[in-house]
Amino acid sequence: MNTKLDLYKVHKTEYVMPRQPALVHIKPAQYLAIEGRGAPGEARFQECIGALYAMSFTIKMTHKFAGKQDYTVCKLEGRYFGDLAAAPKKEWKWKLLIRTPDFIGEKEMAAAAATLLKRKKPAEVKEVKLETIDEGDCVQMLHVGPYDKEHETIALMQHFAEGRGLKLAGPHHEIYLSDPRRVPAERLRTILRQPVERI
Amino acid sequence: MIEKNAKSVKSLPAGRDITGGMNRRTRPATLRFYKEQLLRVLVHIQEHLDEPLALEALARLACLSPYHFHRVFSGMTGETLAGHIRRLRLERAAWRLKLCSSPVVEIAFQAGYETHESFTRAFHAAFGVAPARFRRRKGARAMIKASSGVHYRDRKHPRSFRAAQMKGKPMNVSIKHMKPMRVAFMRHVGPYDQVGKTWERLMMVLGKEGWLGGGCQCLGLCHDDPAVTPPDKIRYDACVTVDAAFRAAGDIGVQVVPGGDYAVMTHFGPYDNLGASYEKLLGQWVPRSGRRLRATPSFEIYLNSPDSTEPQDLVTDIYAPLEPD
Repeated sequence: MNTKLDLYKVHKTEYVMPRQPALVHIKPAQYLAIEGRGAPGEARFQECIGALYAMSFTIKMTHKFAGKQDYTVCKLEGRYFGDLAAAPKKEWKWKLLIRTPDFIGEKEMAAAAATLLKRKKPAEVKEVKLETIDEGDCVQMLHVGPYDKEHETIALMQHFAEGRGLKLAGPHHEIYLSDPRRVPAERLRTILRQPVERI
Repeated sequence: MIEKNAKSVKSLPAGRDITGGMNRRTRPATLRFYKEQLLRVLVHIQEHLDEPLALEALARLACLSPYHFHRVFSGMTGETLAGHIRRLRLERAAWRLKLCSSPVVEIAFQAGYETHESFTRAFHAAFGVAPARFRRRKGARAMIKASSGVHYRDRKHPRSFRAAQMKGKPMNVSIKHMKPMRVAFMRHVGPYDQVGKTWERLMMVLGKEGWLGGGCQCLGLCHDDPAVTPPDKIRYDACVTVDAAFRAAGDIGVQVVPGGDYAVMTHFGPYDNLGASYEKLLGQWVPRSGRRLRATPSFEIYLNSPDSTEPQDLVTDIYAPLEPD
């Protein structure tokens, strides 16, 4: 019997959660991904989360049932594009992600989508794609508190980057450690990650 | 357990919600009802200390379903049923040491101990002194500390008891009206802490068939109380909500979890502390809520997965069924 693969533990240097900004290097990683536009928490956003989890679990369980390597379904992550401070929330462009082992490929994706559609599960599962993201050097920090206060943490990260001759570049990335349905906003824990480049 | 967007259950309008402020809104009539039911049990126990005192019979006496009886009992009196009976038998033994001259070994036997040694050990643990010395000591009281204030009295029965108060943080409980839920389930018989294997198999079989997704929820339905049923006999159903298209097959069955009103409390942290939360909800909150428990099992809904969540971050909703208002 194989031991269960937990990608967050295998790549634990990529999931550090310091209370002060820190530099990390993120190697290319494969995700299940679905993109959309609109304020987080709105219906479309929630439907995409549902589709992403449905695909993740169907693929994982099919794989496990076949006696292949078992693995943990990782936490939900999100990338946000463009200038978030300037754009109203309803125009935000985002991509929701769940990190997935490299041995999952297009064949597994297609089979899972077909299985789910047969069960009349959300049509959005067809929009879930496999994607490899290469973020490279990033500034990373744990944000504790409401999502609406992330800008304070981001300001710290920006200050930290500038002090090292770096600037924030590329989409803002967050990893949701807490469940916003139950955990009070002031206790929500989120890893914030921001790719950087030399000024 | 699976989804962030799991369909949330419909709450009653805010006016019917009795979240928080419980102390102010305690309804004395139901607290009295529950106290009267339990008092009957406490009297019965004192009258029948030499008998086996089966849980089912005591539950019937209290007009409570066996599903809930033990949690109400321990939540209200502050001790388990077995602990209560053991304490009273020891207190009676202490009385007898003082009042009659029978040999210690005989009193030990009457208290349900098979050997002199095991009695002495238990007695010493409870009274801080060995039985023979207790007998000689003047003014030794035949009482073991108990928050309920119920003690053994020679030929006298308890006329009241102190119901455990709600201590610590205020309990955050709401009443939800639930529709019946159709679930696919797999039964586990055995220790409660080993239900993980059953869950793994259920999730794997349902998952590969595409039943996980679209707002399904994971429920645990415990038919026995792990605090009283021997570990190898505990029946637990691992359940996942499914639509009407799902058909039972192999070791996966289908059942309908009854709808109706439920008192719902969120439990944060490891599953091994769930028992204490059940006791608080059923034994402390419900008796003061103005509502009565309904004779169907309680259940729990898992809001995140133990697979990818640290034990201290687990979130579980506990549902206790209520009679219609």
